[in-house]
Amino acid sequence: MITGSMTDIRPQDQETLVGAEALATPAIAVHKLSAWFGAQRILYDIELLVPPRRVTAIIGPSGCGKTTFLRCLDRMHEVVPGARATGQVLLHKQDIYAPGVDPVLIRRRIGMVFQKPNPFPTMSIYDNVVAGLKLNGVRRRSLLDEVVERSLCQAALWPEVKDKLHKSSGVSLSGGEQQRLCIARALALEPEVLLMDEPCSALDPTATAKIEDLIHKLKRDYTVVIVTHNMQQAARVSSLTAFFYLGKLVECGPTTQIFERPLMQQTEDYITGKFG
Amino acid sequence: MSRTLPQAKKAWLQRRRLPWADRAFWATTALFAFGILLLVSLIVYQLTVSAWPSLTKFGLGFLSGTTWDPVDAPGHNLFGALPFIYGTIISALLALLIAVPLSLGVAIFLTELAPAWLRPPVSFAVELLAAIPSVVYGFWGITTLIPWSRAHFEPWLAHSLGFLPLFQDRGSAHDMLSAGFILAIMILPIISAVAREILLAVPSTQREALLALGATRWEVVRRVVLPYSRSGLLGAVILGLGRALGETMAVTMVIGNSPQILLSLLRPADTIASRIANEFTEANSPLHLSALIELGLVLFALTLLVNALARLLVWRVARRPEGTMHV
Amino acid sequence: MHKKWLNAALLVLILGATALGSGTVTLNAAGATFPAPLYFKWAETYNKVTDGAVQINYQAIGSGGGVQQTIQKTVDFGASDAPMLDRELKQAGATVNNFPTVLGAAVPTYNLPGKPTLNFTGQVICDAFLGKITSWKDPAILALQDEANKQLLSGLNDAAAKITIAHRSDGSGTTFVWTDYLSKVCPAWAKQVGAAKTVNWPAGIGGKGNAGVANIVAQTPGALGYVELIYAIQTQIGFGKVKNAAGNFILASLSAVKAAAAGTKLPDDFRVSITATPPDPGAYPISSFTYLLIYPELSVVPSMTKAKAQALGQYLCWAINSKVKGGGQTIAPTLAYAPLADEVSAKVVEAIRSRVKFDGQLVINPSKPGFCSR
Repeated sequence: MITGSMTDIRPQDQETLVGAEALATPAIAVHKLSAWFGAQRILYDIELLVPPRRVTAIIGPSGCGKTTFLRCLDRMHEVVPGARATGQVLLHKQDIYAPGVDPVLIRRRIGMVFQKPNPFPTMSIYDNVVAGLKLNGVRRRSLLDEVVERSLCQAALWPEVKDKLHKSSGVSLSGGEQQRLCIARALALEPEVLLMDEPCSALDPTATAKIEDLIHKLKRDYTVVIVTHNMQQAARVSSLTAFFYLGKLVECGPTTQIFERPLMQQTEDYITGKFG
Repeated sequence: MSRTLPQAKKAWLQRRRLPWADRAFWATTALFAFGILLLVSLIVYQLTVSAWPSLTKFGLGFLSGTTWDPVDAPGHNLFGALPFIYGTIISALLALLIAVPLSLGVAIFLTELAPAWLRPPVSFAVELLAAIPSVVYGFWGITTLIPWSRAHFEPWLAHSLGFLPLFQDRGSAHDMLSAGFILAIMILPIISAVAREILLAVPSTQREALLALGATRWEVVRRVVLPYSRSGLLGAVILGLGRALGETMAVTMVIGNSPQILLSLLRPADTIASRIANEFTEANSPLHLSALIELGLVLFALTLLVNALARLLVWRVARRPEGTMHV
Repeated sequence: MHKKWLNAALLVLILGATALGSGTVTLNAAGATFPAPLYFKWAETYNKVTDGAVQINYQAIGSGGGVQQTIQKTVDFGASDAPMLDRELKQAGATVNNFPTVLGAAVPTYNLPGKPTLNFTGQVICDAFLGKITSWKDPAILALQDEANKQLLSGLNDAAAKITIAHRSDGSGTTFVWTDYLSKVCPAWAKQVGAAKTVNWPAGIGGKGNAGVANIVAQTPGALGYVELIYAIQTQIGFGKVKNAAGNFILASLSAVKAAAAGTKLPDDFRVSITATPPDPGAYPISSFTYLLIYPELSVVPSMTKAKAQALGQYLCWAINSKVKGGGQTIAPTLAYAPLADEVSAKVVEAIRSRVKFDGQLVINPSKPGFCSR
């Protein structure tokens, strides 16, 4: 439980305050985003700017809509029968909810990592990584080899798996390794944005630490949006934090500010452990 | 915790309640399990004993013989099962050929593609098909399928594909093809109902993983859902095959009941189960009865063989990279 | 069909069990399906005649099953469309009585435009069923027909004139009568195929039950098959005339079938085939008896008691004696079964009086014969 003191936040994060220039050219701009499951409304007119090459954390109690929000960013929300969303999500200035936009093409530009590691059990490690490329019709062996090595290196998994790329299945790895494999699978497509939905919730502390290290490295090249219920994690990895409550965006700002000097009473109550 | 419990209760906690219960449970369930084994062995034993006269008289010739002459007179009383074995296998395979793509299509549509409101009524309709008694299918076969097939489908087949020996010399449509059709309709609901359950068991995280990589629904089905569930789907097909091999009533009504081995699907044929049902109550002689029971043994062995082959197939299909999940 | 009868039998069984009171005698029987509707009707009527004192449960499991259960003595009496064979009598360890009850017949039925009533001979039917005659325009067939039918048949095109044979796929007494007749009139049939409840058919399509054969015939232009006369009468499908030994073409009817048995010289044990025999110029040649199977010494049947044996004796006479008013023989024609001729009936009644015993005593008391009165 967080106590209100920010001793958990590492010094380097203090530097990554979000400058105005970063928000002037957001990777994602969300405008009046609402979402429903059938008749039940999940999100209420969300407005949010996601800066490029930063880690943005989404926090909030269970059921606040943070995962739904994340899934709306690459049009994954609507794959569940009965689910729909309205509003604007501008991905590098293109509205992904505009009529005529093919969600399949949008998803190719955005990577997603899920709560539970979900490598494909019937594919080898190699095939897991290149699954997305193969969808795009990439067949050239040399290119695939190159991408596999690059992605697995980026995901800090290369040393562990480089000798069993073809003979081992994705699910033969440990939980933390599986999740890094899933990250490598997303990175193989060089996505413009990487969405992570509580990527460490199913992992032990050691594996969690590795993933967090990885996120730190990734933000040099990628825009990352991470949903987490773990506030220390948000504090450790993100430069911007958004607090969701009951389907509404309560407050959004630089992570240090949200955790040290929240503007809203609800945010303060949540991060001081009064509810959630 | 224990500190808050009274002393007497603590002693009670140390003792195991009903110490014999576990063993009794083990013994009961083991009894049931061995009971099944015993039952199967008894059935095989009983069948073998009853089939003994035929087994000893015809030996392996029973399997290769093509004459089934049950007249109890000198020069007759000859029993060969080959036409029935042939008819059983071909009609079942024909049924699979028609039913598997259809039922997998239905199952995929129901689990992956259909809008939410459409799923319950279609699933219900499919399950309803499974509940229809086979004699009703047979009745439908002789009153609707066969007349239609004779008037429209088989003439067309013979006209457009008549150069193949499979579709030559057509007759009254009481034939192998009609049997295959009826069987296909009968096994379709089984295969699709089981396949639907299998597909539903594929975790949605698997589908979403590929969707998130920018896959279409079709790509998700082909690259994730089907590979993930292939051994289960094979099991569903085997269930259907099992029913097709053993189906009696509906087949008898449409197949024409002529024990012959002809390449053409438009000629009458016969199956093991159908022949047993036809002749068992009115066997001409003890040897005839014995031969019919041996036919039963052959069907038993055939089913066993098919199941063993299927297991082998499942095992081969399931042999994936090391550490792979076995579904 | 089978199922319906089984259900009916089950119903009778259940009703019987509930009606079972003191003084009620229950007789259990099983066997042939062909006479089953009549036997159910008999059981029901006889139960009323005896004010519920005699209950008869008949299970239509097939003639083969009837013979088997008789041999195993698991029923009070059996029923079969074919008389028991010597081999089966040997298995039973007794000269089981084969008492004829009614007659059945098999008739040729076919699908031709205009539904003509054609003439057949045994030879022509035989050649068609052997696959030797394959066209309705065959001279052998044309030669038998009157002028109108001759023209009709010759006018058929080759496809429509093609004969498709339809036969029973299940074992049945009807097939036995049919093949028994063909064996007698056609040496080639006797040599190649023979007579039995199921045979190795040289040609054609098999249908299950009379309904199956009738369906194939109805749906296949040019088809030729055979069905039980009663089925043909009840479903009103047309059938052809068959030439009898006296040289007349006879359309099967209850009287023509009855006549077939009338003049036949019956052996003492009634085990006889009456197909193709020349008793009467009006006799239909493809007829046969159906039988009840009764042990001569009923005490060998474990479930038998003296009271049951006596009840059985009276029931048999009620069913078979044509002198009993409202008895079994009077009921038979109402369900389209051909009854026994009077002289045949009298002969069977004599046999019941003299050849059915319990513990060495005749079950029919000669001084108080009841339904067995001469």
